[in-house]
Amino acid sequence: MELAAQDISFGYKGAEYPLFYKLNLKIDTPGFYSLFGFSGCGKSTLAKIIAGSLHPTHGKIATQDINTILLCYNTERLPGWLSIGRHLESVLPKDSFLKDELDNFINTFGLKHLLNKKFFRLSMGQKNRVNLVRYLLQEFDVLICDEALANVDEPSRNWILSVIKDRFCSEKIILYISHNIEEVCFFSKKIFILPSGGNPIGRLIEIEGMDGIKKNGHQDVEGHLQSLILEVLKAASSNQM
Amino acid sequence: MRLLQFILIFLIFLFLIEAVKYLADFSDYIIPPFNEIATMILTKWRDFLLPSMNTLFVAIGGHLLAIGLAAIVGFLARGTSIFSNMIKTAAFNLQAYPIVAIAPLVFIFLGDGLTSRLLIATLICYFPLLLNFLGIFSEPVVEVEHFFKQTGRLDSGTEIIIRIFENLDKMITVVAGSATLAMVGTIVAEFLAATTGIGYVIRKALYQNNLAAILSSLLYIGLCSSLYLMTVEGLGRLLRKRLIL
Repeated sequence: MELAAQDISFGYKGAEYPLFYKLNLKIDTPGFYSLFGFSGCGKSTLAKIIAGSLHPTHGKIATQDINTILLCYNTERLPGWLSIGRHLESVLPKDSFLKDELDNFINTFGLKHLLNKKFFRLSMGQKNRVNLVRYLLQEFDVLICDEALANVDEPSRNWILSVIKDRFCSEKIILYISHNIEEVCFFSKKIFILPSGGNPIGRLIEIEGMDGIKKNGHQDVEGHLQSLILEVLKAASSNQM
Repeated sequence: MRLLQFILIFLIFLFLIEAVKYLADFSDYIIPPFNEIATMILTKWRDFLLPSMNTLFVAIGGHLLAIGLAAIVGFLARGTSIFSNMIKTAAFNLQAYPIVAIAPLVFIFLGDGLTSRLLIATLICYFPLLLNFLGIFSEPVVEVEHFFKQTGRLDSGTEIIIRIFENLDKMITVVAGSATLAMVGTIVAEFLAATTGIGYVIRKALYQNNLAAILSSLLYIGLCSSLYLMTVEGLGRLLRKRLIL
């Protein structure tokens, strides 16, 4: 399994500078990865390019053993004419075991009491959870979550991320985009950082996340998390070209 | 409520006309006195109500046809293909022609019967509906459509349902607004050449210089229009309640 962004250049029409210039990113094993950077640095744009919603002016997205890349984000809405339960059932792929999977997710994500409600009746956090569940029920090899849990409270978010990691990350790639540096550092196998100072951004900085470090037997997890956060922040604010 | 509002406005209008009559000292032949108008409204109601109902039914038919036509053309013209653009251009260009100016042609080709009245009513309320439907059908609702697009479930049916649902309030307002236009269109058609309907009654009254009959016709037209508008708005509210809440 391999997902690679190769020499990606991209700029929005009318912009003074292109956003990316010959940017490269490579993920070659399943796992939980993060894309981090300050607001406006191009995380969502890169996510859309990887998902195929935007086309780069130069370069390509190369994949190996990957058929489906899905992108979900936090402002998505479910159709308003169906209840949450009926919508989730209607978007279930035609595999019988997925019905059980849906029930599992409903329990795990705490959605049972929301099933008869319409989407607009939910809180922002509930909306995020429902939206993410319908994506997790789909057949995918790569799921890009662009601030998909932005409105969910921290304990629920940590719980959900743990569940996603346990359930999916042995065989699928999750690319998580968030402004919450702590969870990015703690859960990720690798953090891809878009530095904010570049015009255009020509290189992603890669830093190993806690996921990998824990496996390497680090004892002082809290101390290491703090130093990792500082390292990521420093990288994000650096001027890379 | 809408009926009461209309009756109130009509009474104010009558009062102003009577005020002009007495201020300018017009004769009863030019502006009949209030009691003459009231007598005509109350005693000859059958002469005005039945043609008004006739007009209303034609207007409803024309309105329904216009909604269907606008939905079909809007659906076909919503894309970016050459075919869609061609339909869009034709629809916009046709709009430049005033339907009232084309109406005589309709009467020449189709006669002064029901078909002509129906067609003119349809054409008059069709364009505002089309412009609105076209706008709604061509504007993606990215936040809702994204999931369906990503997972390969976004067929044209789903796309249209999403866009209609997301713009339901706007659509209900436009459909209700165009109901009045359908009534106007039918009356215009009857006024021009038809031999039935309240427009024809007004035309006859005009030839006889019978202002009381014209004012009575206006009252019954207003009552029928208000009733229809209330029904359309009520149906819209019901639909909204059933779908959204």
